[in-house]
Amino acid sequence: MNALLILFTILATGLLWGLMYRRQQRLGEDVALRPLPAYTRLQSQIGRAVESGRPVHISLGQGGLTTDTNPVSVSGLHIMDYLAENGCANNAPPITTVGEPTLLPVADDRLRRAYKLAKQSLAFGSGRTQFVAHDTDKFAFAGGVAATLHQENAISNVLVGHLGPELAIISETAVRNGLEQIIGTDDPTGLAVATAVTDHTLIGEELLAAAAYLQGKPAQLASLQTQDILRLIFSTIILGWAILQFIL
Amino acid sequence: MRKRSIPLAIAISFGLLTLLGLTFSLPELSNLLLGWAGFLVAVALILGILNLFVVHLGRLRHGNLYSGVLVLSMLAVFALAFTDSNGITTNGVETVFSWVQAPMEAALASLLAFFLVAAGFQLLRRDRSWSAALFLGTAVFILLSQALLALPLPGQQSTQILSQFRTLINNVIVTAGMRGILIGVALGTITLSLRLLVGMERPYSDE
Repeated sequence: MNALLILFTILATGLLWGLMYRRQQRLGEDVALRPLPAYTRLQSQIGRAVESGRPVHISLGQGGLTTDTNPVSVSGLHIMDYLAENGCANNAPPITTVGEPTLLPVADDRLRRAYKLAKQSLAFGSGRTQFVAHDTDKFAFAGGVAATLHQENAISNVLVGHLGPELAIISETAVRNGLEQIIGTDDPTGLAVATAVTDHTLIGEELLAAAAYLQGKPAQLASLQTQDILRLIFSTIILGWAILQFIL
Repeated sequence: MRKRSIPLAIAISFGLLTLLGLTFSLPELSNLLLGWAGFLVAVALILGILNLFVVHLGRLRHGNLYSGVLVLSMLAVFALAFTDSNGITTNGVETVFSWVQAPMEAALASLLAFFLVAAGFQLLRRDRSWSAALFLGTAVFILLSQALLALPLPGQQSTQILSQFRTLINNVIVTAGMRGILIGVALGTITLSLRLLVGMERPYSDE
């Protein structure tokens, strides 16, 4: 029964997404996305880095690519792509820190690709992508990232990925150094901390919409529309169920 | 062309195999794939440790003393692991963990509460809106009520009201918010996973 339900959900979502994708391709319409302050601010970070001569710091958190936090980490990689491509083109590549070993080769590869796209020599490698600590050592990771922020004299702090309440330690260093912060995580406790330290938060699904906001390919926009329809369906079911329980 | 299609084919086929293994409860298939993934994670961890060592060695060359401490500590722990495995020392690595790493992490964990309080006050300084006041007010109420409930308050009724109000915040408001966030994350995860499964999303390729 469970297997059938899972298959049905996947097939139904896939079908809906396929329909949205075809519609998106056929109409080629511009989708008006709800403006999110965090993505708006992200677009100005490279300019600030170029003007100040200081790097943007981005941390991809502690969610691995082989665990259930994979989608959040992939979204973090999209944001890193954006910062790396624009940064390398303007000679201001970001500093990237990761707290899970599987993220390191991917992040390193994305930065190499950004250098290649910007037709810059690969004089890179001098610690632009750094592994800080394994995902079992949350506080060691937080302490390491805080030290990197301080030592690299970053201009802004972008934390996107799976991060818990330990991000308070990182953001405290950022606040002391007067850095602008953009924080996105899927962890509700981490989000509570993020809300307290910055106005530019990406709450759960907003982080997962990174690709649609930053690249805007038809497949990505279609999946955002699918998500909205699914949310509407689930909300109606939950509300209907609650009313039914109340009446009966 | 081949450079693009081979990783894509591997990613799609392994994604589908994992999905089949988990959906139809095929433990042999799931365990085999998990074993391979575990091996890759171990290789990535070795790369990560080498990266950490090289980065801090570079910083040490620029005169960063903290990086020097990290490099020396890494070498010392490696040496201890070597001597432990050869029977020269006993439990050297475990001793370092329980006497150095565990107390340091505990110290950082205890500092977290102070960082959170500081963050709360920064919020009120930065954003003097009703939502910031509500955020901070709720946090202070939950902290105080936790302490007050442990104390003998005058009158049974006041304790009961405090406890009920606290339960209402925790079980209804906080839980509802958290579930909302988690449902949103789950929906986003499903659609992103679908894009990964059909190869529309390729974090492993040059596109």
